[in-house]
Amino acid sequence: MPTRRKVITTIALAGLGAALTLAEAAAPVQRPLTAWEEFGHLLRRAGFGAAPGEIEAAQALGWEGAVDRLLEYTAVSNQDLEARLAALALDMRNPADLQRWWLLRMAYTARPLEEKMTLFWHGLLTSSLAKAPAPFLFRQNQFLREHALADYGTILKGIARDPAMMRWLDIAGSVRGRPNENYARELLELFTLGVGHYSERDVQEAARAFTGFTVDRAGQVVFHPPRHDDGLKTILGRTGRWGPAEVVDIVLDQPAAAVFLAQRLLRFFVRPDPPADSVVAVAQTLRTSGLSVKAALRQIFLRPDFRAPGAYRRLIKSPAEYVAGALRQLAAETDGVGLPAMLTQMGQTLFAPPNVAGWPGGPAWLNTTTWLARLNFANWLATDRRRVRLDPAAWFPAGRMPADPAAFLDGLAQRLLAGPMGAGQRAILLAFAAEVGGDPADRFDRWGRGLVYLLLALPEFHLA
Amino acid sequence: MLRRRAFLTTALVGLNAGLILPNLFVRALAQAQADGSRPAPAAGGNRVLVIVQLAGGNDGLNTVVPYQDGRYYTVRPTLAIQPDTVLPLTAELGLHPALTALADLWTAGRLAVIESVGYDHPSLSHFEAMDIWQTADPERGRRSGWLARVVAGAVDNQGHPLGAVALGTHLPPALCCPPQGATLIERPETFRLATDPQHPDVEAARRRALERLYRAYRPPAPYAALFETTATGAAVSLAQLHQALATYRPAAVYPTTPLAHGLRLFAALIAAGVGLRVGYLLQGGYDTHAEQAHAHANLLRTLGEALAAFWADLVAQGHGDRVLVLTWSEFGRRVAENGSRGTDHGTAAPLFLLGGRVRGGVYGAPPDLGRLDPNGNLRFETDFRSVYATVLEKWLGADAEAALGRRFPLLPVLD
Repeated sequence: MPTRRKVITTIALAGLGAALTLAEAAAPVQRPLTAWEEFGHLLRRAGFGAAPGEIEAAQALGWEGAVDRLLEYTAVSNQDLEARLAALALDMRNPADLQRWWLLRMAYTARPLEEKMTLFWHGLLTSSLAKAPAPFLFRQNQFLREHALADYGTILKGIARDPAMMRWLDIAGSVRGRPNENYARELLELFTLGVGHYSERDVQEAARAFTGFTVDRAGQVVFHPPRHDDGLKTILGRTGRWGPAEVVDIVLDQPAAAVFLAQRLLRFFVRPDPPADSVVAVAQTLRTSGLSVKAALRQIFLRPDFRAPGAYRRLIKSPAEYVAGALRQLAAETDGVGLPAMLTQMGQTLFAPPNVAGWPGGPAWLNTTTWLARLNFANWLATDRRRVRLDPAAWFPAGRMPADPAAFLDGLAQRLLAGPMGAGQRAILLAFAAEVGGDPADRFDRWGRGLVYLLLALPEFHLA
Repeated sequence: MLRRRAFLTTALVGLNAGLILPNLFVRALAQAQADGSRPAPAAGGNRVLVIVQLAGGNDGLNTVVPYQDGRYYTVRPTLAIQPDTVLPLTAELGLHPALTALADLWTAGRLAVIESVGYDHPSLSHFEAMDIWQTADPERGRRSGWLARVVAGAVDNQGHPLGAVALGTHLPPALCCPPQGATLIERPETFRLATDPQHPDVEAARRRALERLYRAYRPPAPYAALFETTATGAAVSLAQLHQALATYRPAAVYPTTPLAHGLRLFAALIAAGVGLRVGYLLQGGYDTHAEQAHAHANLLRTLGEALAAFWADLVAQGHGDRVLVLTWSEFGRRVAENGSRGTDHGTAAPLFLLGGRVRGGVYGAPPDLGRLDPNGNLRFETDFRSVYATVLEKWLGADAEAALGRRFPLLPVLD
């Protein structure tokens, strides 16, 4: 009964007395992006959004220079971050401390791509606190960070010897004669090739290669030669006395592996539906570079389709991106107590993905519960004056907070959205500022905090 | 005119107090009300399934006690429930005395015990076993929960935001992945849009601006429909939940336990008629490896009293026939007690179904203590997916084969 519904809708709207004017409707970006928007986009995708000054710095380097600086992060000192974390005296045996530690890294790191790629790997090569203690996950996280841009073979060979992964997918305890197939199956299905590119027989044979290992309570990996199956195995058509490392080599030799990784990277960094020619091009780069993740990322960021309007705001931020991004872009100072629980409410418990396939992501991030949790985090950030220190002066190039709400709003939107607001949005927000007014003693406290909250709540801010 | 009045009240409360309805999405609320006046969906009618997960592995043998079986008393020298204390169900089986509160339900023929529920090659790991139960897949190939597929599709195509509600801090995997369609509520008190504690007077203006900003975000802006559905769903469910709780007058006295509080919340939603189809909550603490007797009795008492209050409330309000409660646990416990007066991880165990349409009784044979597996655990008789299939097909009107991947025999437990 569309007619009836329309009537009710109209009545309800009229009753509110706030009829929508055409000018208020937000339009997607059809025009070419401005340079500021392009660099803001790069820093959202390759990191967690720009801290004050970062867009300007990237712009000064030019596109290729900015991409190289993001990729060559080992040349960038992260001393401030490490000092900040050390001062918190976190206990990595405690899951909440471990989660805080990582979230704060994302928010305050000088090497955003390093943390972004670590998050990518955590979502692909999953492991969970459900089956391994926090110190194991801490160690895995450091491994993934250390090799974040390495070649995929190095990463896969390392992760098969990682205590958290060995527990998570049952490499630990798998013995000859009755091999546990869990890891072998996910290696083929979820980490490298995908269903349809291997047989059940390949799973069974590969599983034999991962037998003979245990992990003790301290996280030491122990190899027990008698429990290892060193017989001949035929995997994807190749026969030999294969061990774990050779299995990885055989699997990554398959053409499907490069395509698989290219797709995963493009979906994470560019758009949920990467065009076929991007996949082909990135897969080709992966093949010719020995599956170098750094080479693939460089190509992805330099391709025109990375910053085409069709990719702009086409990704929905994960909770970690939303939270770390808000902290980072506002240069908000916090010790992060309480943030892991807020992230859980948003549907992402770091170090505890829902299952081996990781977080489904995309539209699945947004539902009633998670949206409320996101807005309540925004409220916490904007108004918890004890836990969060905001310094509005730092958001403006002049180092002073403008007294005029319009100038304040324009500058803040430039930070948080990395681009202009629509005329309609601007009018709504200015009307809000005018309505609530200011406190003569503290201009920021009423309309300023209100505007911060509203900008963080905007649909655009949930998109990367 | 009840609907119209409820709508006006809600809108009014929202506008005045600014705390309940984020007056944002009045348009959407009107739409939801209009949708609510349509005929109910055919599948499953207005029936409600409430799932109570007993987390940690409930000791089935001490829940439904084989009180005539000498072997039970032999292997459980300190933990066995004595024959003269059980609540007899049959000549062989009786309930743990801490479940006294369920006696009326049993007498009324509204409590069913399904014996020896499990699956082949059972996992003794909490994590794996929970995963298996939640995804309904012992092969562990599936990623999505057994109810997620149903909640997202067949059960409610009306888009009621409170069609599936889980209480707790995590969305249960049974309703998850993708999580669309299920609402997670940690506590009603925190299921709100938070406000600026320093300037509560700013809130009304903030909400108004929020509403206008979201209304201005329209297609073809990216994900416009998703943002509208999400924000609308949030506005409507906030309004409905808090109104349901504010106006609810239970017809029974609920214990003060979290479990009973959760069931009371479900009763309020059922009475409010906001389209609840699946409610999910969890009682933890069943991993009784040591000094089990006292702890287990407390758990069962809490469970029995909460369920009995819920049931009495529903019946008094005339909703008994609309509600089915299913309890489950990831596994039972080892048949023989251990040296710490506790029990280790086991396998098959009984589960409960209760409700106005339940045909009371014991289904399946008592556990066979003479035919254990090599680990000293019970062998299962009824596949847990038969229980799921029965609930899906006979209660929710869903296609069990599509949801579970294949057919399972249905149990004659529902009218």
